[in-house]
Amino acid sequence: MKKISSRLAAGAAGLLLLAATTRSVPNQYGFVTGTPVIRSINALTFGPDGVLFIGDGRSASVFAVDTKDATANEKANPVEIKNIDQKIAALLGTDVANVTIQDIAVNPVSKNVYCAVQHSDGTPVLLKIEGDKMTAVSLKEVPFSTVALTNVATEDAKDRRGESLRIASISDIGFADGKLLVSGLSNQEFGSTFRSIPFPFTNVQDQSSLEIYHAAHAKYETMAPIKTFTTTEIKGKKYLLASYTCTPLVLFPMDELKAGKHVKGRTVAEMGSGNSPIDMVMLKKGNESFLLMANTSRPVFKVKYKTLEDYQGSLTTPVAENFATAGVDFVSLPLTNVLQLDKLDDSRMVVLQRRSNGNLDLWTSSDRYL
Amino acid sequence: MYSLIFFCTCLSACRSGEETGITISWNGKRAIGITVPDRLVGEVNADSIAQLLTIRLAGQEIAMAGDYQQTHRGIRFEPLVPFTRGRRYTIWLRNRPLCELAIPALEADDKPRLLAIYPSPDTLPANLLKVYFRFSRPMRESQSARYVALLNANGDTLRDVFLDLQPELWNADRTMLTLWLDPGRIKRDLQPNKRLGAPLQLGDHYQLVVSANWPDALGATLASSTTKLFRVSQRDSLSPDPDRWTIHLPKPETTQPLSLAFGEPLDYYLLTETLHVFSDGAAVPGTWQIGRNELVSTFTPTARWTAGQYRLRIENRLEDRSGNNLNRLFDRDLTKTQRPTDGKSYRDVVFTIGN
Repeated sequence: MKKISSRLAAGAAGLLLLAATTRSVPNQYGFVTGTPVIRSINALTFGPDGVLFIGDGRSASVFAVDTKDATANEKANPVEIKNIDQKIAALLGTDVANVTIQDIAVNPVSKNVYCAVQHSDGTPVLLKIEGDKMTAVSLKEVPFSTVALTNVATEDAKDRRGESLRIASISDIGFADGKLLVSGLSNQEFGSTFRSIPFPFTNVQDQSSLEIYHAAHAKYETMAPIKTFTTTEIKGKKYLLASYTCTPLVLFPMDELKAGKHVKGRTVAEMGSGNSPIDMVMLKKGNESFLLMANTSRPVFKVKYKTLEDYQGSLTTPVAENFATAGVDFVSLPLTNVLQLDKLDDSRMVVLQRRSNGNLDLWTSSDRYL
Repeated sequence: MYSLIFFCTCLSACRSGEETGITISWNGKRAIGITVPDRLVGEVNADSIAQLLTIRLAGQEIAMAGDYQQTHRGIRFEPLVPFTRGRRYTIWLRNRPLCELAIPALEADDKPRLLAIYPSPDTLPANLLKVYFRFSRPMRESQSARYVALLNANGDTLRDVFLDLQPELWNADRTMLTLWLDPGRIKRDLQPNKRLGAPLQLGDHYQLVVSANWPDALGATLASSTTKLFRVSQRDSLSPDPDRWTIHLPKPETTQPLSLAFGEPLDYYLLTETLHVFSDGAAVPGTWQIGRNELVSTFTPTARWTAGQYRLRIENRLEDRSGNNLNRLFDRDLTKTQRPTDGKSYRDVVFTIGN
């Protein structure tokens, strides 16, 4: 970082003056211009006006970055990049084995796809995909703000010594109703902590622990971390729709997710054990909405929103048969080994899929899956 | 950071036999940039450097992403991620290969080491929850499923023992990894527990094996494989109880350590941050050291102890090796009455250092 600053210092004095001016006048989101120290990119999601949230588990922080990519695109072109891992490896000048795609997110305004990549040496890289073109997104001298994921217990300790050995892992982030939502796990308490952080960032963040009845486990289970989530509205009420390892699908009323609160969710589906959910999105075809969910050991599931809305039950008894399912009905799509997915527009999604021939392709689904 | 003069292989476009004078910039063991001298490139407009000069992994058509900068020594290229050790790169000028450059591989004996596995004891409870691995330098992530194995006494590899977490739980510099034994298998009566049983069986012997093939961040593999042999003892179904700890007090006007003996091994990493010493409401500066088999912790103050009253503050989230903390059991029986708590996140033990 020092090197970069010195290089910038050698630049034109006029520019420096401009940069200093920018720094002193935060914009509407409280951004300042500078170079965020991002140590890892575990999860991505977009907020308003092309603001990209970057979940950095290694720093136990989330960064909000102005991508300045906010030109509305009403008619998104499908994205298709075959062998994307090989192309990323070449762009980074390394071998495919050294490249891991951590997350993808579609900018809902410009419809450009952003892709978080981690090099095996630990360097995080952010790429932007427009059509079949892939470019690196510079995170130097960008308008940004940051929020640390605080831990209440640790804050109580007044004599913290140096860097905490606490290790956080961010499993998913989302943005809804002006709030950044973060699910994660630390290397200490095995707990399901869910944070709701108002944006623009302030000192406020609500941390609640979520309890679910996991029918595959036959007991109330407070200890499972959410793997992926989205938000939805059912009969005028807003809900967090979350999924966990062994694949229960659970609804939590958003207005109950408050600081320090312990909230019990309503399990509406058991989608089979021996599996972990990866990503979920809501899509629309005509007047019908659908939940699409990618999985580690099962194909992509499709749930009709109407079925979800109509389901009044709460699963409280164990699923008798191993790997069996219960609750809300769903369809297994002929789409396997999907590693990432995000919504491109109302009826299409961008899919990162390991094909049966071993290729890793990024492509855009049509509404035929709905 | 330092630079090495490097001579790359001249291709046809380069005058034969001439030293190219290309330099590689290093940050530790990472090659973070190269500088191509002006005489190789010729006159180039600063705005069009990236169009005229590109660096590609040998055999690839896609130019590497990175920053170009005109310096007094030539054009400097800093790739988005450091060059890969042991790989060759081609420098292209005006769409023609100018020369090839090799980034030297690491020395054959330049390897990372596994420094420790926690818990340290060779007898572990049947409901062991976490294992920590500490390495000598940053490792490659998302590899534990491939390189860590638990073997039973017959040498069979046991499946679905560790929780598959992505991303894995590494510390900031990727020298310490936390692996959870699948909590669903440890908690009694949960479906994975019923279907697969607990990962560890009372009285059995196991081998925790870390393969030497695990690569570090630079691609070098571990110097050797490591095997930790252990035997499994009874489930630990009791919370750690500070009332049963033994405190050895130091003498005033010395920097002798305050020593705590727990009577049972506790969780290594929670021990590093949940114990504190206070005097008159202020934290006493000093360092904690965890003793053998995580049975003991000692606190050595920076300044000498003065006679008087102190408080040892123990955060309630301190756990034993089975995830039982001071307030609750990891696998508690919901039908049994729970120990009442005072709502605090810590408890204090008062001790006096006398004359």
